[in-house]
Amino acid sequence: MIARLLNRSQTRRELQSPAWFADYSLALAAVAIALLGVAMNYSSTWRSLSFEGGDPWTVARRQAIFVGVGIVVMIIAAVIDYRVLRFYATPAYLIALGALGALLFWGPEIRNARSWFVLPGVGFQVQPSEFAKLVVIVSLAAFVASHEGYLRFDTLFNAGLLLVVPMSLIYLQPDLGTMLVFVAVAMGMLLVAGAQLRHIVVISLTGILALVLVFSIDAFQGPRLLSETQRNRLTAFLDQDFEPLEASYNLRQSQIAIGAGGIWGQGWKQGTQTNLDLVPEQHNDFIFTALGEEFGLVGGTLLLALYAYMSVRIWQIARVASDPFGRLLTVGILSMLLFQVFQNIGMTIGIMPITGIPLPLMSHGGSGTVTAFAAVGIVISVGARRYTL
Amino acid sequence: MAFIGIVMVGLFGALFTRLWYLQVLETEQFAVAAESNQVRIIITPPTRGRILDRHGVVLADNVRTGVVTYDHSRYSEKHTEAVLTELADLLDVPAEQLRQGFADQRTHPLAPKVVATGLDEDGLLRVAERSIAGVEARWDWVRVYPQNEVGAHIVGYVGAMSERQHRELIDDGYLPYERVGRAGIEGLFEAELHGEPGRTKLEVDRQDRVQRILADVPPEPGDDIVLSIDVELQAAAESYLRQGLIAARKTVSEDSGFFYPALTGAAVVMDVRNGDVLAMVSHPTYDPTWMVEGLSLAEYRSVFENPYAPGALNNLAVQGTYSPGSVFKPVTALAGLDAGLISPRAAFHDVGYYKIPDARGCTGRCTFFNADRAALGTLDLSGALTRSSDAYFYKVSDDLFWIDGPEQWAIQDMARSLGFGSPTGVQLPFEKSGRVPDGDVKQTLFELSPEAYNPYDEPARWFPGDNINTGIGQGFVAVTPMQLANAYATMANGGTLFSPNIVEAVVSRRAETFGEPVLTFEPRVLDVVDFPAGSAVVREGLSNVTNSRLRGTAAKAFEGYDHEGYPVSGKTGTAQAQGLNAVLRRKKEDTAVFVAWAPSHDPRYAVAVVMEEAGYGGEAAAPVARRILEAVRAYEQRWPEPQIAFSPPQPECPEVPEALRGDPAFLGYVPEGCPWGIQLPRANTPTDADGDGIPDVDQIEGAAGS
Repeated sequence: MIARLLNRSQTRRELQSPAWFADYSLALAAVAIALLGVAMNYSSTWRSLSFEGGDPWTVARRQAIFVGVGIVVMIIAAVIDYRVLRFYATPAYLIALGALGALLFWGPEIRNARSWFVLPGVGFQVQPSEFAKLVVIVSLAAFVASHEGYLRFDTLFNAGLLLVVPMSLIYLQPDLGTMLVFVAVAMGMLLVAGAQLRHIVVISLTGILALVLVFSIDAFQGPRLLSETQRNRLTAFLDQDFEPLEASYNLRQSQIAIGAGGIWGQGWKQGTQTNLDLVPEQHNDFIFTALGEEFGLVGGTLLLALYAYMSVRIWQIARVASDPFGRLLTVGILSMLLFQVFQNIGMTIGIMPITGIPLPLMSHGGSGTVTAFAAVGIVISVGARRYTL
Repeated sequence: MAFIGIVMVGLFGALFTRLWYLQVLETEQFAVAAESNQVRIIITPPTRGRILDRHGVVLADNVRTGVVTYDHSRYSEKHTEAVLTELADLLDVPAEQLRQGFADQRTHPLAPKVVATGLDEDGLLRVAERSIAGVEARWDWVRVYPQNEVGAHIVGYVGAMSERQHRELIDDGYLPYERVGRAGIEGLFEAELHGEPGRTKLEVDRQDRVQRILADVPPEPGDDIVLSIDVELQAAAESYLRQGLIAARKTVSEDSGFFYPALTGAAVVMDVRNGDVLAMVSHPTYDPTWMVEGLSLAEYRSVFENPYAPGALNNLAVQGTYSPGSVFKPVTALAGLDAGLISPRAAFHDVGYYKIPDARGCTGRCTFFNADRAALGTLDLSGALTRSSDAYFYKVSDDLFWIDGPEQWAIQDMARSLGFGSPTGVQLPFEKSGRVPDGDVKQTLFELSPEAYNPYDEPARWFPGDNINTGIGQGFVAVTPMQLANAYATMANGGTLFSPNIVEAVVSRRAETFGEPVLTFEPRVLDVVDFPAGSAVVREGLSNVTNSRLRGTAAKAFEGYDHEGYPVSGKTGTAQAQGLNAVLRRKKEDTAVFVAWAPSHDPRYAVAVVMEEAGYGGEAAAPVARRILEAVRAYEQRWPEPQIAFSPPQPECPEVPEALRGDPAFLGYVPEGCPWGIQLPRANTPTDADGDGIPDVDQIEGAAGS
């Protein structure tokens, strides 16, 4: 072992096993976050589960299984050479579109949205839009990689088309949050792909125009492009005393929970807001409130540090990636991670509007967890093969 | 790539900053919010205390009744309309009536309004099973006043709380729909009557599902208030006053030629031995039951804005101020005795008027006439009171005015020491203090309201004429019926000025202290008045007022009265009222006043009757007082057990040598009530037939021997 370590500098890097260059700390950070997530899943659900006479571990155990599956997926993704993904990009993209389309027709309506397939027998739900995020990143990376440095406007248009189709399908579910993830991902990737300033300006203007259009049509009682809930959430964010309490309730309760946590927090399973189920969706989108209340500023900062560490490592891998495809892939995943973390934590502490985006690796949910682990695996794979052509 | 790095740093920096703000800078505020978030306090209203008379007759009670309320604040106009229509259908009440009653209710905007009361179990179930949004059908305690209008002004009433009360009381655990005391004892003793609300502290989750009961404090019922009034006597007094007023309305005024309006009046019966108020009447009156659920606007107007029953809500016995007229004369007499101006047995020749002597230099009005300019002939102090000689007291007042020294204000001082000019302190809200006029008071009145008191721009100096008017209870003097009764009680009991009690005790109804008094009102002595020598003559004069042989002013009213069995000392008063009758727009008729105590020789009860615009005191008020006194006598026979009499403090008795005891030379030197020496008889001893104020020797020996 020691001999091989010594040997490493003398051998040509290209010929060495990628396992030598794999970023294990990234994987460890991901697993640490996921385990913290399992703990918070437990603490935010045990009280109400036992109150209803159930097993307090139900939710946490399921999340633990997801994490286990996710780790395996991550290892597989890391072992596989990421360049192979290029060849599977087109069929995967088409399958994803098919799944998203099918969802609109045959998906059951759960919580006012057709975002899930229910797998019969297992009792699990599958959220295709989570997987679609990764698939679209891969496809976009594959598409742009062949044009890197030479993004003409028509290429940009094609890339936009590639994005807009799944985005519209997700918007129709409706799932505004996930749709916004695509926007963030596209911005990051196109920026790195060398999109010129005028392109960015055109895209931004189009986006702003669309936004204005959506809002003004709403204001004039035209066709509703934003659903009632979405509009209320946005208004609640801008005006924190906004009335339909539904909308500002989440915002207020989550801020109360986090604020009441103080510096050291109230201790695991001790948070009153958490225990009394005062913050809705707490093991899902609002899981950060449980952490903030029970572990305080210390716990919150630890989690932020872990995410920041992951982001920095992914960013570094993006810089040293051996080819444009790998770099774009990594940047896409970084954008996704950054946006989701910022948006999710931001909404719980009141600096972003409420949109239903899970906190990667923390929130309860199989699809999201597995996707996040797979993404980390892909990044590790890119990093490990930075010397391999 | 560098751009993404910068964005990365920015995003994490923003998150951390906000986290710091929430969890370090603002954490206390959120900790409080979290605490209040999880705890719900359910308030159970306590049962309100009752109000009882001195013998336990219930004047205010609670009964259980089915109530339907609707929380209009949470629903739209349209829904309200639909709900009212449905309820009208359900309860079989005309929808219009329901809607009108609903609109008329003045409650806190957020409090549910009562739609219907008095439902039985059947009715409640019928409403409840519909489960209409915003409608609640529940049992509730409702205040009832079993004696209806008897004692209404004393008891007061409960009603929906005003917005201001709502703000103040909600912190004390009141529920928004609770009824609170608004007047009388109900208002004054609200804190005692209400009791402690029960508080159940619950820990709840987001859906308000109860997780845990943190604390459960059951409600503590409110305390009972035991009044000193006797309901039967009160009812009798009310009825007699009303009958007296009605009778006065059938009498033609000699002044104006019209019937007397006689709309309002008041009467007070009190125990002179301990200051207990046995009855307190004010007319016009109302039934407090009307007020509990609120009147409709039309009803309210017809009852309380009726020009022919003005101010039905006011307790005129403590809130009405009147010129006392001649009933003020004993005060002047005592003042004159005190100043050494009056020789009680000195003869005075009443020629029908009094003229200020030229030597004194008179400006303005110099001659003051008796009522009807009647010349009453030769009188002493006793006779002057019996026959109500104005001239006698004109002279006393005028003489007092010209004294250079503190005695100049003797009338005012005596009036104040008998309790005029300040609230008596009876346990009732909004008591007026009346007015004892002197130079300063006149000046103040002139400055405050020149158009009312000084239309001809006269100087504000205190003139002899002012003192003369004051001496017969006219001019600026203003007293309440309660003050009149209290002052005469003080004269009757030998000088103890009480602060009258209308509340005997506050009795607990809590389980652990059930039936024990929380608060007892012992007789409260304000002052012990040192009556001047010769005050017995004043009492003698008053005792003859009902005597027809001596031509007393109330003799006609007391014709056929049992003078031997229950002799009465009293004084009539016919006071000229200032100003115009607001409805009839003509000069106000005279106020009829009669104040008395009985029995004369052993005073136990004092009665004051004031009837506005009802004519002569001897013709309108005295008959009412007579019937009330007869009722008092009947009351004494019903309740022969004596009251716990307050024994007044014994006067300091100077040492008198054995040999000299009983010598008339000590008259005035030995205070009344001393066990030896000259005993001025306890006022108006009926056997003191010769009326010289000096008892027979054998009588003293008899007293000493017993």
